Amino acid sequence: MDLLRSIGITEIVFQLMLVNAILGLSIYLTLYTGMFSLANAGFMAIGAYVGVVLTQNYDLPLWAALIGGMIAAGIVAVPIGLPVLRLRDIYLAIATIGFGEVVRILILNFDTLASSISGESVQLTRGALGITGIPKITETWQLLLFLVVTVYILVRLHRSRFGRAMAAIRQDEQAAATMGINVVYIKNTVFIFSAILAASAGVLKAHLTRTISPGDYGFDQVVNILAFAVLGGTSTWLGPIVGGFVLTALPEILREFKQYRGIVNGVILLVVIVYLPGGLVNINGWKRLWRRIRGQPSVIERIQQNTRSG
Amino acid sequence: MNRKLVSLLFVFLMVFLSFGVITAQDEVEKPLVGFWESCPTPSNLPATVTVGAIFGLSDAVAVYGVPQRQAVELAVEEINESGYLGETVFEVRFEDSAGNRDQAIFAMTKLVEEDKVLAVLGPTLSSEAFAADPIAQENSTPVMGVSNTALGLTGMGDFVFRNSLPEAAVIPGTIAQAKEVLGLEKVGLLYGNDDDFTVSGYQVFRQALLDNEIEILGEETFAKGDLDFNAQLTNLISQEPDALVVSALAAEATQIILQARALDYNGPIIGGNGFNSPAVLRDTGEASEGLIVGGAWNYGNPNPTESSVRFVEMYEAKFNQSPDQFAAQSYTGAWLMATAIRCADFGADADLAEQRLAIRDALLQIRDFDSPLGVFSFTEDREPLHDPIAQIVSGGKFEPLAVVMGESG
Amino acid sequence: MNITQQIVNAIWLGGVYSLFALGYALVFSVLGVLNLAHSAVFMWGAFIGLVAVTQLNVSVWAAIPLAMVVSGVISIVLDVLAFAPLRRRNAPRISQLISSIGAAILLVNIAQLIFGTQPQRFPLGSIPSDPLEGLPIRITPIQIIILLVAITLMAVLQYLVVRTRAGQAMRAVAFNQRVASLLGINSGNVFRMTFFLAGALAGAAGVLFGLAYNTITPFMGDSVALKGLTVIVLGGLGNIQGAVVGGFVVAALEVFSIAAGGSNYREAFVFTLLFLILLFRPQGLVGQAAETRA
Repeated sequence: MDLLRSIGITEIVFQLMLVNAILGLSIYLTLYTGMFSLANAGFMAIGAYVGVVLTQNYDLPLWAALIGGMIAAGIVAVPIGLPVLRLRDIYLAIATIGFGEVVRILILNFDTLASSISGESVQLTRGALGITGIPKITETWQLLLFLVVTVYILVRLHRSRFGRAMAAIRQDEQAAATMGINVVYIKNTVFIFSAILAASAGVLKAHLTRTISPGDYGFDQVVNILAFAVLGGTSTWLGPIVGGFVLTALPEILREFKQYRGIVNGVILLVVIVYLPGGLVNINGWKRLWRRIRGQPSVIERIQQNTRSG
Repeated sequence: MNRKLVSLLFVFLMVFLSFGVITAQDEVEKPLVGFWESCPTPSNLPATVTVGAIFGLSDAVAVYGVPQRQAVELAVEEINESGYLGETVFEVRFEDSAGNRDQAIFAMTKLVEEDKVLAVLGPTLSSEAFAADPIAQENSTPVMGVSNTALGLTGMGDFVFRNSLPEAAVIPGTIAQAKEVLGLEKVGLLYGNDDDFTVSGYQVFRQALLDNEIEILGEETFAKGDLDFNAQLTNLISQEPDALVVSALAAEATQIILQARALDYNGPIIGGNGFNSPAVLRDTGEASEGLIVGGAWNYGNPNPTESSVRFVEMYEAKFNQSPDQFAAQSYTGAWLMATAIRCADFGADADLAEQRLAIRDALLQIRDFDSPLGVFSFTEDREPLHDPIAQIVSGGKFEPLAVVMGESG
Repeated sequence: MNITQQIVNAIWLGGVYSLFALGYALVFSVLGVLNLAHSAVFMWGAFIGLVAVTQLNVSVWAAIPLAMVVSGVISIVLDVLAFAPLRRRNAPRISQLISSIGAAILLVNIAQLIFGTQPQRFPLGSIPSDPLEGLPIRITPIQIIILLVAITLMAVLQYLVVRTRAGQAMRAVAFNQRVASLLGINSGNVFRMTFFLAGALAGAAGVLFGLAYNTITPFMGDSVALKGLTVIVLGGLGNIQGAVVGGFVVAALEVFSIAAGGSNYREAFVFTLLFLILLFRPQGLVGQAAETRA
């Protein structure tokens, strides 16, 4: 523990590493099923605001707020997922970014909107000022437990019929459909799971950082969440966890670099992605890197070189 | 093209494009700031006292955070060279929060729990302060915001201070004076609705306008980072307001002034703290004529205190740029912290908790402290108390609003 | 005056948005990759123009082509460092997206080290900024100049892509890289050329933004990155006319939602339209065949 602290990983850093690992898993679920969805920040916002309103305005305990936030996000995910998941790749990505931005703007203007509809002054989300003074009640063991349970469910899922269907859709959606897999059902269910996971991270994080505002859930946050999964790798559930850990801890470990921190951070990110395009948790990537270092091109690369010169 | 050659060219380009900042150093004179008389030179302090500072030094917030760090560095240099703390070295450890709440929390935890600093200056943004200051409070460590203006900030605990005047202390006076001077009856209101700084400014403006029975013809909003305000301004200007009232940060303020003038609006523009940057006046040129700003400190103040003049000189000599309000407040903040340490004069053998408590108590005692911000005191609620400024740009420079009022009335 | 002025505002803003989106769209159309470092090259373009004017005492008109060339080179370096190695390895496009984010972080931080964080500007009066007299609407010479330059650049780009051999090669690679190689097209050269052109467009946009809004910081790309994305998707991904149409549609929607008194929700309107367009016309406003890309 002392060793970790000496390199900048204090308890709060570790707690946010766990939160970000959960966020990484939430986007991993959709990516694993071949869906490039970026709605996670929007669902995280829904979870955070619903959760905080439940603990602050209704004095509910954290676990109840957690369930409340998850249910709210799950309910919103249904009407969003049905039309949007017909889209693919970058189109899906942009549509879901659009969803996230609309959520952010609605939260920003919620009080004005609610006041003009109800005719009396509503102060719930407090606009850009955000909600402050939220007690810090999330504990490390709760985060750990939540992560372990999530991973357990994921592992069980991967081994189930449902999990194999997810992988099949990622491989080839049309082939999966011909094989009798209900693609629409699987995709929407995964999307809802992903939303619920993002929302839970939102609730847990809000009760760590003591304050939330709409700006926390914008485009930057989505890009961060995506980076957790891609840097870690999306071939197994371990990837996004490692990605979330590394990307949260790295800037703290690099604090000693002072004004060069951003540059060092950017270089590391670039080098990892360029040399390990499958992510940190991808054994083939490391093997290929090892061969490169020793100067032996892989079979595939040799073939590629031949094709190019020809 | 050869890949190595391209990379080399790139590096060459970077070097070629960089132009160094010339730094010059003045001879040491006795500082004009400080309780040289009221508190004796300390004799018990340890060899080094370390204070932390959390500023946004990277990302977009660095526009404010970098001047803050520079101003603190200037104060530290002055404090050590003048022997303000006797034999003791005053050290400030800077941490970057990048305008990010998580990083502000991390930085505060590191400084307070790991580095065990005596007190903390910052963080830059109010939203960061609401997340990070409770950590200082829980560890009974004094924390002083030098740019936080949001409502309820010091309510977080009895170790949370700020030396930055909240909008509520600045804007009502500006509006009341502007009404008297210009006979305002109806105005258009423009503000950024996704930023806590501009929103709290807007709320105070709105209340002040209502209190002064000035009609608000229309309210328009923009988002952080917007560059184009033509549509909003066209709406407001078409309603023929007596003045435009704007709550914006410096970057947007410049654009708003220029675009309003380009749309043929020649009336007064009233702004809050965000307009208080030398860049606004410099970058708007003639368009700034008739601009009215209320704030805690202004580069162009026609009646500055002696220490303010000295601060501007030193800052310009050292950093080759003009200080803004954030710099002046940070500079004062560092001096206030050093003053509390000087007056506390705790022993080197006192434990950390006692030292932090002593600094907190000494900060609470600071009254009538002559600083670039004017004569400064902390209230019992750890809030700042000093005269705000209300000025109008007239003939290309800032004049006190009241003087212009005398001329026109 | 009000509504005519708002129309002028919308046209002006549309020109600004399309100008930024052009290079973005070009890279996407050829590589099928979202280059999130495009906004960082744009920022470098503005700084190069500024350095040319203030340090090298070059006129604004000479600074624009200079910035275009240098930004083009920066853009090629970007390709060599961040995209080419991944292409060679057939890495998923999503890795290239993240790689471009790393490159953007790097470019912004280097700019911060070199140029500092304080907003900089072209000297006052670099170009005439007084509104034109005698018109029922308010418009400044710089606004007209930027619109003209933007339209010229769009036309030149369109000509390059549609009429020239190089453009044909680009379209062939965009259509199918393998088939293009079989036809004897060196796809590496095509990629580098695409990045050079995109960088040059970003550079021109950077200088013109710098002149129009006169605030140049290492972070100026942030505010247009997401907007540019919206514009190119709305118009039709990977489509040059699409970028232009998208730019004007987004601008019109923003300006008229403000004119109608909804400045709080203007971005929500834009994203809702985006959402609906994607659902009902995923090829965008201008696009023809729906083509799957990642």
